[in-house]
Amino acid sequence: MAEKNDFEPNIVAFLCNWCSYAGADLAGTSRIQYPSNVRVIRVMCSGRVNPLFIMNALQQGADGVLISGCHPGDCHYMQGNYYARRRFNLMRNFLEHLGVEPQRVRMSWVSASEGAKWKEVIEEVREGVKEVGPMDQFKRRQLNW
Amino acid sequence: MVDLTKLREMAKEVISREDVRELIGYRPGTYGFRVRPAFVTGPDDADDLVFTPACVNNLASYIVLEEKLPVKRGEEPDLRKVAVMVKGCDSRALLQQMEEKAYPRERILVLGIPCTGVVDMAKVQARFPDVLEVGEIALEGEKLVLSAGGTKEEVPKEELLADKCTRCRYPTPLVYDELLDAEVERFADDDYADVAEMEKRSAADKWAYWEEKFNRCIRCYSCRNVCPMCYCEDCVLLRLQPQWMRRSVDLSENTAYHISRAYHLAGRCIQCGECQRVCPVDIPLMELNRKFSKDVLELYDYEPGTDVENPPLLSTFKVEDREDFIM
Repeated sequence: MAEKNDFEPNIVAFLCNWCSYAGADLAGTSRIQYPSNVRVIRVMCSGRVNPLFIMNALQQGADGVLISGCHPGDCHYMQGNYYARRRFNLMRNFLEHLGVEPQRVRMSWVSASEGAKWKEVIEEVREGVKEVGPMDQFKRRQLNW
Repeated sequence: MVDLTKLREMAKEVISREDVRELIGYRPGTYGFRVRPAFVTGPDDADDLVFTPACVNNLASYIVLEEKLPVKRGEEPDLRKVAVMVKGCDSRALLQQMEEKAYPRERILVLGIPCTGVVDMAKVQARFPDVLEVGEIALEGEKLVLSAGGTKEEVPKEELLADKCTRCRYPTPLVYDELLDAEVERFADDDYADVAEMEKRSAADKWAYWEEKFNRCIRCYSCRNVCPMCYCEDCVLLRLQPQWMRRSVDLSENTAYHISRAYHLAGRCIQCGECQRVCPVDIPLMELNRKFSKDVLELYDYEPGTDVENPPLLSTFKVEDREDFIM
């Protein structure tokens, strides 16, 4: 068990430009300490996140994936996060069906003013992924030539 | 069962019409009771059309498979209809294609076959080896009669019926111009018990199951090619930039392929079971598709291929969609 708890996961986070990215930025400028496991990828909207992004991130070495966007009704593009919500729900259920633990693929709504919530979200995702350990289902093999 | 003389007469009448270019149906294969698709362009060819419980193919695929060549200068495009014979399940493929505006309704002429079920060739092969190449098959009441080399075998229909037929809820085509027989009553129901069973297993269990299946995949892409819904001109798996899945045959890339294939059918799969039927290494692809079908029905109360007026599932949303999974 001790070994498992030492494990620090890689988390890829897709943040929407208008809310979640600004929220994470606010956490930084307000000097809120949050786990540094997360690698942020900024997208213009959570609706931009193709479900294949999740698959691809897991394949390329992420242990967890987080998608974060504006709260429903607050989307800069009016509806993007609603579409994202549908797509993500199906993808998450499907990956779970294949045997990818649901703790690995998460979605959250974080607005630009929620720096503190961002910290909580990241801590929760990190805890969840730590619990299930490294992603070893279909990670791409790294060949050392 | 469909009356063969009636079927052929109807086919002849349809293909003789001015505005019909081609008729896609079934004809006997070279050996035994296998059938193959027939592409009829004149009334004379219509004589060997058949419909038997061995007509497993989904002919709706051919409508979107046809390559649309550019029209030569000075020539008019051929806008005549394509007539197609469809069973109940196949008619849903047509509906879903039209729902996605793949082609307008007036481009096709649908000959509906009220279907009492087709056989699963693998089941026949397992039960009666060698029969496929020499025998004949017919449906008599609730019994399937297989005759080969002078001997006759009667088998209850349920034993050899394809899985999709044992839970078929739409035996009569949902869309048709001409119906070739009297409507068939719905004889089965689908409770997604097999999917629910799988869902109960632990994550490690599930992955162990799928790991073995995906490891077998040889990436022949038959499942994609045969699928009536896989008709994108620019398929994601052929893209090189970005290259979503590499072409090498290993577990990681195979899994990526199967995830993308299944996901692209989310809310579109009409469960004709063709992908699983053609799979040379027997990967239970319908289990992936049925997971989506179940979710889509339970979460969004949506069933693909049942109503042309329905907007495609993932290009719409409802404000009150579930979001209990969101942090």
